Amino acid sequence: MQSLSTKHLLGIKDLTTNDIQLILETAREFKEVINRPIKKVPSLRDVTIANVFFENSTRTRLSFELAEKRLSADVVNFSASGSSVKKGETLLDTVNNILAMKVDMIVMRHASPGAPHYLSRKIKANIVNAGDGTHEHPTQALLDSFSMQEKLGDLAGKKIAIIGDILHSRVALSNIFCLQKLGAEITICGPNTLLPKYISEIGVKISHSVKETLQWCDVANVLRIQLERQQIKYFPSLREYSLYFGINKQMLDELDKEIVLMHPGPINRGVELSSDAADSHHSIILDQVENGVAVRMAVLYLLSQQG
Amino acid sequence: MKTLLKSVKIIDKKSDFNGQIKDMLIEEGKISKIADKIEEKVDKLIEGENLHVSTGWIDMRVSPKDPGYESKEDLISLCKAAAAGGFTRIVTLPNTKPTVQTKESIAYYKGFSKTQLVDILPAVAVTKYCEGKDFTEMLDLHNAGAVAFTDGEHPLWNADILLKTLQYLYPINGFLMNRPEETTLTLFGQMHEGIESTLLGMKGIPSTAEEIIVMRDLKLLEYAFSQVSEKRAHSALHFSTISTKRAVELIRDAKAKGLPVSCDIAAHQLAFTDTDLKEFDTNLKVNPPFRSKADIEALQAGLADGTIDVIVSDHNPQDEESKNLEFDMADFGIIGLETAFAVANTHSNIPIETLVEKLTTNASHLLRLPEEKIQEGGVANLTIFNPDLKWTFTEKDIRSKSKNTPFVGHVLKGKVVGVINKNQVA
Repeated sequence: MQSLSTKHLLGIKDLTTNDIQLILETAREFKEVINRPIKKVPSLRDVTIANVFFENSTRTRLSFELAEKRLSADVVNFSASGSSVKKGETLLDTVNNILAMKVDMIVMRHASPGAPHYLSRKIKANIVNAGDGTHEHPTQALLDSFSMQEKLGDLAGKKIAIIGDILHSRVALSNIFCLQKLGAEITICGPNTLLPKYISEIGVKISHSVKETLQWCDVANVLRIQLERQQIKYFPSLREYSLYFGINKQMLDELDKEIVLMHPGPINRGVELSSDAADSHHSIILDQVENGVAVRMAVLYLLSQQG
Repeated sequence: MKTLLKSVKIIDKKSDFNGQIKDMLIEEGKISKIADKIEEKVDKLIEGENLHVSTGWIDMRVSPKDPGYESKEDLISLCKAAAAGGFTRIVTLPNTKPTVQTKESIAYYKGFSKTQLVDILPAVAVTKYCEGKDFTEMLDLHNAGAVAFTDGEHPLWNADILLKTLQYLYPINGFLMNRPEETTLTLFGQMHEGIESTLLGMKGIPSTAEEIIVMRDLKLLEYAFSQVSEKRAHSALHFSTISTKRAVELIRDAKAKGLPVSCDIAAHQLAFTDTDLKEFDTNLKVNPPFRSKADIEALQAGLADGTIDVIVSDHNPQDEESKNLEFDMADFGIIGLETAFAVANTHSNIPIETLVEKLTTNASHLLRLPEEKIQEGGVANLTIFNPDLKWTFTEKDIRSKSKNTPFVGHVLKGKVVGVINKNQVA
């Protein structure tokens, strides 16, 4: 049987193309499982997983929890809004306390880039990064690629646009790493202040025109404006943003081709996406959510085989 | 007390004995005899292979942490770390609690170091609490023994304050040190801005933030001294811990124009680049951040051609509570007193004579200290070292209270053997 090259899922950057393909293939099997009348398999029986969320999350936490439960794992949830440090306990202490209760795997979301990498050097349990600040969100990238493959097949040579707040987005970076490993071409698009200055050095194209980008791409992955992560002013107003960088259904319908519209959620309706676009036939946003559970099952299952 | 150094090569361009291998007898804090062979019963004999001696080294940038943060460092551990690193004199930054901005604070350091081998030379704040707003009483502090004026870890962000400080210090030939950083561009920054920071998802600290202030301050220096006809023997403005290629070029050009400017770099700046931060090791979190290979090469060139006057340790002790954390929550800084010489010697690509100048004579001149040289009858303030010995730095070599260094396990070239000052040997 094939196995992953790593015992943690810290980021897509550390994965090999084989790892990614193995996860996506395994996810296809699990997607079939969760569409059966009995959705549960015993793969992770007697494995205890803690979902440790230091940042607010609804869908990612729920998606992980469902994935864990469908694999028959025992699940505990820990949420702390803001940093545990503010309460006087360090991240390491918090996690060590949880692990002392015989937990096997940690799924963690944290506001600091590299927090799961830091933890991986200090603890024995498997770690799944469920988002570390503005760095990576590997399971989101995997489920995005999975969803694109469902629509388009092999992604080699496909044109993928990532539109919006790239600078503050962990989804963008993980998507770029993942899609490049799968051979896709990538353009990022948004106001210049929200695009990382050096990103073109890794072969990503840059655009400031949503219209041109939509003309170019097979898939438009639209990101949310991360107002909560913007500590400094980056653009004048949401009104101007939605006027110049927002996408509505008319723009999609005017294209002389089919386009796949994606969004990692939660959508700021009327800002980066109008409601009629989000709910249009172009959109696969709800498929992404469904696939998220299957992809996370695959990740957890494969990591559990790594000991 | 009598100490004898056997077969030491004297590295001191000012000394008649420069480059010669001699025996040296030290009695009651003075060099009493320098000769080819001295046989004498002494209290302490220092001998070994490939020993070199120079005047005692000076570290121009040390964060003492005491008073206020004694869990990170106190003056006793600080002086031990300095002596272990070959430094007989250290310039301390004012960013303590309370801020060093009164005569009492100066007296605290001077009083403590009176009996110590290591002399503490306090730099004092330019502005109250290093906030960059209201001036401290600089003339009075100068007379109380302040060797330099600086807001230390805080850049002087206000152009008018910097200009007025240069003007105010002019009549007393005062020495202003500024860490060049435009803080509006470095807010929340964690590491050097570039493709590496992008790939690690961390907010960058752009090189421009340093260069823009070097440009600004040089322009203000030119303006402040534009009516002055005589050429100053001393630097009036010193840039602390520069890190970028362009900053080196700007200072090189300014020196060529004759402006009274000087600068230093931290020894560790030569040892790492931003690509080393991939593992989010907080012991590589420093300010200025580790930059690119091209920047390191520019720093090496600046050392070689004299643009960079001094190498400092930028010793900044942080306890485990400040470092064993997520990267963006950890404090900046690493300890450096014990490793500065060896790191600089390993990574600077300059001859040992030039390196010693950056550690002693140049700093002494910038700080307006009395001229010194190795001669019979001269003060015995000396550092003894082996510049070629390769050794592995381990945690046991740390004398500081804090252990925040990335050099544990590194093989370094050049080791300090001992220091002599004020009739004490360590």
